[in-house]
Amino acid sequence: MNLLEHEGKALLAKYGISIPKGKLITPRTKGSPIATPAVIKSQVPVGDRGRKGGITVIHKKAEFAQAASRIWDTAIDGHIPQHLLVEEAITSTSERYISLSYDTTTRAPTLAINAKGGSGTAKASLIQLNIFIGLPDFLAREALVAAGLTPSFPLISTLQNLWQLFVSEKAILAEINPLFELKDGSFVAGDAKVVLDDHVVAPEARPYVQLGGDIAILASGGGASMINLDALMKAGGKPANYVEYSGNPKSDVVRILTRQVLSQPNLKGCWVVGGTANFTDIYETLLGFVEGLRSVKPRPTYPIVIRRDGPRQREAFAMLEKVAKEEGFNFHLYGPETPMSESATTIVKLAYQQK
Amino acid sequence: MSILVDKHTVALIQGITGHEGSRAASEMLHYNTPVIAGVTPGKGGQKTEHGIPVYNSVEEALRRHPTINASLIAVPPRFAADAAMEAIWNSIPLVNILTEKIPVADVSRIIALGRQQGVQVIGPSSVGIISPTQAKIGAIGASELVNRVFKKGSVGVISKSGGMTAEISRIITEAGLGQSTAIGIGGDVLLGTTFLDCARLFEKDKQTKAIVIFGEVGGSYEEELADAIAAKEITKPVIALIAGDFSHSLPQGTVLGHAGAIVSQGKGSAKSKIRSLKKAGALIATTPENIPVLLKKVL
Repeated sequence: MNLLEHEGKALLAKYGISIPKGKLITPRTKGSPIATPAVIKSQVPVGDRGRKGGITVIHKKAEFAQAASRIWDTAIDGHIPQHLLVEEAITSTSERYISLSYDTTTRAPTLAINAKGGSGTAKASLIQLNIFIGLPDFLAREALVAAGLTPSFPLISTLQNLWQLFVSEKAILAEINPLFELKDGSFVAGDAKVVLDDHVVAPEARPYVQLGGDIAILASGGGASMINLDALMKAGGKPANYVEYSGNPKSDVVRILTRQVLSQPNLKGCWVVGGTANFTDIYETLLGFVEGLRSVKPRPTYPIVIRRDGPRQREAFAMLEKVAKEEGFNFHLYGPETPMSESATTIVKLAYQQK
Repeated sequence: MSILVDKHTVALIQGITGHEGSRAASEMLHYNTPVIAGVTPGKGGQKTEHGIPVYNSVEEALRRHPTINASLIAVPPRFAADAAMEAIWNSIPLVNILTEKIPVADVSRIIALGRQQGVQVIGPSSVGIISPTQAKIGAIGASELVNRVFKKGSVGVISKSGGMTAEISRIITEAGLGQSTAIGIGGDVLLGTTFLDCARLFEKDKQTKAIVIFGEVGGSYEEELADAIAAKEITKPVIALIAGDFSHSLPQGTVLGHAGAIVSQGKGSAKSKIRSLKKAGALIATTPENIPVLLKKVL
């Protein structure tokens, strides 16, 4: 989960890192809530907001209304702000970049430092950390020296505070860019980008992405779902959504998901697809699908292509054939003898032939 | 031969009294892989339905059963990192983590401790490992279909996806070939064992003549393997199927079916993985069914 700037800054403050004085405002707020000069910042989960028109500096209170209204009306990469952050403008002597994240090449936490902060920081100096050792003074000094910086006490403690946030919150990314250095040698976080781990904050969440097409998809398996979306697009199909269920879900989970997926407008077909399941009970999951299907209004008449293999697949297909016969659903059933990619071609043909 | 698991594998299951753990126990026993002890803290002294003794700690289980050389971690996400570290701390040489949704920070600790203790950690979110006719660990290949899907042969299979491990193995088997070992390495952000780690083991394994990988958008594990192929560290033929190209137009940072499948532009995208593997000399499969066609060219 990507935190907004003000949420990230609240975490920084909790771990002892200075942030500018500021107020969060809603569209109802009239007049600048703080003294000028001030910075007005759009609270959207997007990087590079400055260049994209999401940040403005005002020098007089009179400039507030016009500047704020422009930012309220600016959608950045499709995101419209719900809040703006109005902060005191910081006078700094220099700007740095610091971040903590996990690197998949070293499979360890990584500290990145760039002596030059600001937008578009790319070439940072990277230090691999050991999660059990953390960031003791000597390592912080080493990292700062490697990045060409003087290892001052305030800078070392800023790094260590960020490390505390990173490990205690089980964050995936904790980034400050720019980190302002003030005349007195202290540091203030100009921005905060914190990504929390979905496994910590939303363990029940299921990836669901709307793709705007007309073929509804219920895909099983994290990997199979992706390879099947690729196959559908290659076959000329327009997917309505991406969703994935796996790990032997209960029929109820599939029922609710089916209802959600088939409630999308303007569908021309539905594709239920998965590879050879190791342990997912195919009967149970397809029973959930049928229960979900029955609850969709209006009743789907478009073709439904089902390709599945795994434990109890034959029983499941016998059940589906009976349901199709008795309730008149337009099922097309395929087992392991039909490749998944072939069933992609089938749903595309059936869905787009109808009209 | 084969890699990681074989007829000498003797398993412990941590979380054996839970739903996932007890199912894995019956499935492994059915495949003639000895599961001689289980651990569930607080349930020491009990016996499972298969008569397997349950202990309160890994240390105790090892003391009573010193032949244990592999542990399956099948405990809920909140307790999984601790259970895995307990197995690693006690130097069980192979630790296979079935549990999904373990926080990245916890996985990082598991990996760091595994390195320190010289323990091979497979997973998290690993469906398991099977060396056909010899042994299996984890939830791979339910007994109803295991002999239809997996057959002894010369192809090493490494997959980020559990379902695709089985799907690809079945396609290989139906084409008249078979597997030396098939491994679900899991699709998390951080992996205990990567494509390259497995490929290095397959490179040394006499039974393995070719390697098939199933990769996905996100991370750098496929690129890492490509670099090793280019450097001639991996010389056996590699066939790769890479998923997630459809996601290139989605917002950066979108997470798809697996935690590690993070949409990214440039490095980490499906296109960039395919490009670097191809350049290194790997063969790129366009569909799962294309895999045996390519295999027959190189075997």
